[in-house]
Amino acid sequence: MSFIDIKNLSFFYDESDLAVLDNVSLSFEQGSYTAILGHNGSGKSTLAKLICGILQPTAGKITVAGLDTADEDTLWKLRSRCGMIFQNPDNQLVAGVVEEDVAFAPENLGYRRDEIRRRVDEALETVSMTEYASHATSKLSGGQKQRIAIAGVLAMRPDCIIFDEATAMLDPTGRREIVAAMKKLNREKNITVITITHYMAEAIEADRVVVLDHGKVLMDGTPREIFSHVDALKDASLSVPQVTELLHQLGGFPKGVLHTMEAADELQKALPRAILPKESEQKVQSAPAEPALEIKNVSVVYGEDTPFRKEALKNISVSFPKGEVIGIIGHTGSGKSTLASLLNGLRAPTAGEILLDGENIWAKPKEMKQIRSRVGLVFQYPEYQLFEETVQADIAFGPKNMKLSEEEISRRVQDAAHFCGLSVRELRKSPFELSGGQKRRAAIAGVVAMEPEVLVLDEPAAGLDPKGREEIFGGLMEYKERLHATLLLISHSMEEVARYADRILVLKNGEVYLYGTVEEVFGQAEKLFDAGLDLPQITKLFIELKKRALCTATDVYTVGYAKKQIERVLGC
Amino acid sequence: MLKDVTLGQFFPGDSFLHKADPRVKLVILVVYMVFVLLASNMASLGLVLLTTLALTLCSKIRFSVLLRSLKPVVFVLMFTGVINLFFTSGETPLIDWYFIEIYPEGIRTAVFMMVRLVCLVGGSSILLSYTTSPLALTDAIESLFGPLKKIRVPVHEFAMMMTIALRFIPTLLEETDKIMSAQKARGADFESGSILQKAKALIPILIPLFVSSFRRADELAEAMECRCYRGGEGRTKLNVLKSRPSDYAFLAVMLLLCVAVVLVSKYLTFTVGLFVL
Repeated sequence: MSFIDIKNLSFFYDESDLAVLDNVSLSFEQGSYTAILGHNGSGKSTLAKLICGILQPTAGKITVAGLDTADEDTLWKLRSRCGMIFQNPDNQLVAGVVEEDVAFAPENLGYRRDEIRRRVDEALETVSMTEYASHATSKLSGGQKQRIAIAGVLAMRPDCIIFDEATAMLDPTGRREIVAAMKKLNREKNITVITITHYMAEAIEADRVVVLDHGKVLMDGTPREIFSHVDALKDASLSVPQVTELLHQLGGFPKGVLHTMEAADELQKALPRAILPKESEQKVQSAPAEPALEIKNVSVVYGEDTPFRKEALKNISVSFPKGEVIGIIGHTGSGKSTLASLLNGLRAPTAGEILLDGENIWAKPKEMKQIRSRVGLVFQYPEYQLFEETVQADIAFGPKNMKLSEEEISRRVQDAAHFCGLSVRELRKSPFELSGGQKRRAAIAGVVAMEPEVLVLDEPAAGLDPKGREEIFGGLMEYKERLHATLLLISHSMEEVARYADRILVLKNGEVYLYGTVEEVFGQAEKLFDAGLDLPQITKLFIELKKRALCTATDVYTVGYAKKQIERVLGC
Repeated sequence: MLKDVTLGQFFPGDSFLHKADPRVKLVILVVYMVFVLLASNMASLGLVLLTTLALTLCSKIRFSVLLRSLKPVVFVLMFTGVINLFFTSGETPLIDWYFIEIYPEGIRTAVFMMVRLVCLVGGSSILLSYTTSPLALTDAIESLFGPLKKIRVPVHEFAMMMTIALRFIPTLLEETDKIMSAQKARGADFESGSILQKAKALIPILIPLFVSSFRRADELAEAMECRCYRGGEGRTKLNVLKSRPSDYAFLAVMLLLCVAVVLVSKYLTFTVGLFVL
């Protein structure tokens, strides 16, 4: 019998509702490493909670290590053998001090003191957090908090750990830390790992991929098998790695190629060994439009005159041209968020000035409200700021504060709902009834409705499935075109920035590290790696191809353009 | 920014008082309060004052910090002083001006009460809130009130609630900050307007905060269940409170001081001029 056995499992939250899980049968072997993919609302998280016995099946049966999850007598034994890591690192730490949090589970299990001590030390060692044992949990980074959560589960010495979108709220560094930890647990400790994720790059690390779609198992196989079915995955609102997509689109290549090097090998077989002269640039360089927003010699210092003095921004000067999309990238702590809060006067710069349409926004501090309606700011996870009784009223909050007429407010609400893809029916609902993705849209609409000339967005698509991401960006681009607005897009996803931005600003330690068109910035791969950043996978592929003297283009960062380049070299 | 608010009043350190067992400290606090209240003449009050100063020196906490702890009681202090000064009657008034009569007894009582109050507030801050981390305090309360479990008082549950509350204070402060910024970015105004308008302006902050607290509570409960939490029964602890001989010596000294104060109060009363000290 397998370690986890799921037989004909069905689950309803509410009798009248649709089945969240519909007759699912799956099994997981001891020591296996599985990724579960699926769009938002496909039933992934519910499945995880059912396995840990937090929820009980409506029909069917789950056994973990031979224990039935419905059996109350063995429930605690089951939970100590099958741990779970949740999405939000803040909401799963119980104690304020690292080692006390890790000790929580063995304390609950009633182990003796020396045994608890041994388990805590061992668990912290495994996640490389030993030196933080006596630190306050609130002072840790997201990735570190999540590692403490893993240690907290490891202290039970479980056979299996389920990661429920455990990387969704982390930055790329944190995400790498957690994926490395997962691999280590699986390979070295022989722990069964089940990871639920939206990131394809994480799924390809697993030995097996299960795709859920509307509560049913759509596909089940090795990553290579699964990612061979590019079209079927797209129908299930998922995406595939860029190189897989490229080879799929080109046709005639093996299916399910996942890694950059492997793709380069495959292309090498097909491409003639000849260096072609570099051809015309992808985009016609045009002189930048006049600036919508200018930042002149701005510095921001936190905690001046205290031992905690920190320079968040160091004398930076940038200008953002009107009507363009500017991607802002940089590792955590590089000053991105500080920059965002400066642009609409939420924070005053310590030195320097910010010019909106040539006027200093701090010239008349009393009229800051007007500036805020001209420079819209969408924070990370904006859905947490919804508060009104209906979505409609919530979107109208901004325009109302602008003291607009009733007709104007209602027009703006309609328009904003359109850009963000909300239907009339959803407008009348309470924001708390909406699904996660819809909430996000409603929150973004609340800022869009103020019709700002400059719209600053901090990770607007974080945590959404690939289809949801695409829809949000589609709407934002439409808004930008129609109102000739300027978009500043703060993002951790290089693919996203490459796809939507005209210009990229790279911040490093509070300074402008690189600023230029997408070509100029992505052309300097080494420098980006130095700043702790990554390149889109497709760009890495072309850098490899150049190394192998197969193709000269290094300004490739979208799959469409990559396809054109290869086809040109192939001469078709 | 809200983040800068200091949480609790704990000042980390490694003094004798910091290291003492928090349970013993709680008991000592009670003894100390009795000690302060037992003082009934100036000589015994002097002893109380000296003890408080000695404790402060022991804790290595600066006097400026100690003075700050008195800020919230300044009004009560003034009030006590004024009331005692004007409304204590005696035999011969020092000042008799229209309806204002001030007797030497009044001056004495005013000074006496004020010093006593300062010692009470300052001393308990030094003994407990400044030198004991909130977590240690929670553990101490759970341990001291442990016997109450027998009569079905949910001591463990209260302690767990306190631990979690302490753990979430920084998280929720950060969140409040974020929501405030987000609503400000949508043109909300928290500064101007009448009190009613200001109160109304808080709704866009409070509702998201409540909603998110409930969501957090829900998720935390699941995470705790996943880590086999099922109440206090059968639970062990990694860090067990341990009292050392020095803690008991400390307690013994405090008890002796109590006796001393009683004796001094009884036998060492002087009269200097018009004042009975």
